[in-house]
Amino acid sequence: MQEQTIIPTKAESERFDLLIEAGRGAKNYWRDLWRYRELFYFLAWRDILVRYKQTAIGVAWALVRPFLTMLVFTFIFSRVAKLPAPGSVPYALLVFAAMLPWQFFSTALSEASNSLIGNSNLISKVYFPRLIVPAGSVITSFVDFLITLGLMAGMMVWYGFLPDWRLLTLPLFMALAFGSAFGAGLWLCALNVRYRDFRYIVPFIVQFGLYLSPVGFSSNIVPEGMRLIYALNPMVGVIDGFRWALLRGQSPLAGYAIIASILVTSVLCLSGIWYFRRTEKTFADII
Amino acid sequence: MSDVVIRAEALAKRYRISHRRERRADGSPYDNIPNHEDFWALRDVSFEVKQGEALGIIGRNGAGKSTLLKVLSRITEPTEGRARIRGRVASLLEVGTGFHPELTGRENVYLNGSILGMSRAEIRKKFDEIVSFAEIAQFLDTPVKRYSSGMYVRLAFSVAAHMEPEILVVDEVLAVGDVAFQRKCMDYMKRLARSGITIILVSHDLFAVKTMCRRVLALSAGRLKFDGLPAEGIDLYEKDSRLEADPWAAGIIGEDIDQWPIIIRFVELLDADGSPRTVYDYGERMRVRIHYESRKPVRHPNFYLGIRRPDNVVCCSYSAARDGVTVPSLDGSGVIELLTPPLRLVSDLYSTYAGVWDREFKNLYCGQIGPNFHVRDEVLNQHFGVFHVPGEWRWGVNGHKKIGSREWGVGSGG
Repeated sequence: MQEQTIIPTKAESERFDLLIEAGRGAKNYWRDLWRYRELFYFLAWRDILVRYKQTAIGVAWALVRPFLTMLVFTFIFSRVAKLPAPGSVPYALLVFAAMLPWQFFSTALSEASNSLIGNSNLISKVYFPRLIVPAGSVITSFVDFLITLGLMAGMMVWYGFLPDWRLLTLPLFMALAFGSAFGAGLWLCALNVRYRDFRYIVPFIVQFGLYLSPVGFSSNIVPEGMRLIYALNPMVGVIDGFRWALLRGQSPLAGYAIIASILVTSVLCLSGIWYFRRTEKTFADII
Repeated sequence: MSDVVIRAEALAKRYRISHRRERRADGSPYDNIPNHEDFWALRDVSFEVKQGEALGIIGRNGAGKSTLLKVLSRITEPTEGRARIRGRVASLLEVGTGFHPELTGRENVYLNGSILGMSRAEIRKKFDEIVSFAEIAQFLDTPVKRYSSGMYVRLAFSVAAHMEPEILVVDEVLAVGDVAFQRKCMDYMKRLARSGITIILVSHDLFAVKTMCRRVLALSAGRLKFDGLPAEGIDLYEKDSRLEADPWAAGIIGEDIDQWPIIIRFVELLDADGSPRTVYDYGERMRVRIHYESRKPVRHPNFYLGIRRPDNVVCCSYSAARDGVTVPSLDGSGVIELLTPPLRLVSDLYSTYAGVWDREFKNLYCGQIGPNFHVRDEVLNQHFGVFHVPGEWRWGVNGHKKIGSREWGVGSGG
């Protein structure tokens, strides 16, 4: 019993590979994240498997949803509101190029923000780096996104409108979309654990975001003076980027929109990780 | 000294309990009720565990056992103190955590394994062993939502046990499985312990603790009350822990047990020969000693003892007055003993409750919850009903008018 009051010598504390203490744990966190790396895959795999179990048309739902939305948007914005498409781009492609990142962002954000609550039995009974849970949701949505990307390719062939070298920049914009969904998702899921109000706030964000982002229209119809503020929505840069990369640059891409998007995304991600890590220790106690 | 794998130093865990602010009829808040209250689930808990030790943790509900395991498995952080751990920890705090009901047994083995921290390669290597230990090979591709609870437990335990941890932490999970599987798990854990794996077992089943563990920690109200040999620790725990009030009795007599005219200090469960038991074979008789202490003279006390199943079904009860025994009046402390007829209950975990009525069952003086025990039988389980009494059978063959002359009498039982 006496040894316990003695401060352990360095050699002795090295014999143990884990120290559990209030406010500790950062040392092992990233190592643990690496050790549990396969769990990213397994959680995403579970979500994908489960999502389409007992459905009649299965994975086809990943194609049907964005396709129908695209039809409605094309009809409303081009035929009813008579908004112009830049250059020779078919309006349907203009809409679908924006649909892709937006659909990914909105599902990733909603799924991620509910992910911790949805896995509360795991959180309160097993240890693993919690960051994997929202990340898994974003990855799951990303798989859907890749499927829809295939649909986009099919449509471009059908319209005879093929992309040029700009297509090579697409991964950058994909990374931006991923980052902004992940960063915002971290904030929202951590807040959701303590304040369930966010369960009602997130659908609003997604719904308004659709109109605040240039999904149904091209962002050059936004008034000049407001474009900078408009670009603070990280999805503006992402969507403009997607259009630019997929539609042979016929849709304009403003440099400041990209820079703003990168900045906002980095801030979201870094602050999201910071807030998540800060509150993570209490998840099991309050969830 | 050098082979210590867990060292806990003054661990403490505080929870904040927030109170809803009740308001008076006029809408103003009560000022004397604080917004929140501190609750220490663990306080100043220090101990060391050596490699290959099998350590049991006992204590009543709310004593802090589960909180301690959660701290050691890094699910929750201690508020004060620290713990050092060497080696990979696998904890099984709940059966089938991370199982997804829609996924098949096979899919869940992979999912659960990776949640517990196994790599895909490890799971693949162990897969056959896991499945054969769980005895579910033919249901591998069935969604686990269609599994029986027994199959579920078997698969869950099997995955956790095969991850080759250096430290295995098990909370009261095996109580769900059938007795045969429980024994298999116990044997398996004993084998693990012999091969140098450290085991920490939390259980209400004192019998399991006694057979598994060489050392016991007893917790009470978040503090470590005992650290030593199982027999001593269990003795102390049973003697020391006053029996909880039976909720329905508290509703009649009053919440404050100290105001009751008579209380039961503890209940001993023994076999017919008088040695302590927690597991009985089907058909065995049970000797129960009820130690009471009366604060006021109680006239014509009528002691009773009942047996309840985990789902709160009352299986049977015994009452002194019904059995024709009358005690004139009690004052002070003493003991009353009951020898039950052979127990015909099916194999399960049972809890006892005991108390004192008056002779006419009009006034209740005391009602408390007693210790738990198991009934063991290879065949009889809940599917056979609450209890089982052999019947008389006759046999005949169609076409013959006469019923077979062979006659079986009532089985002699255990």
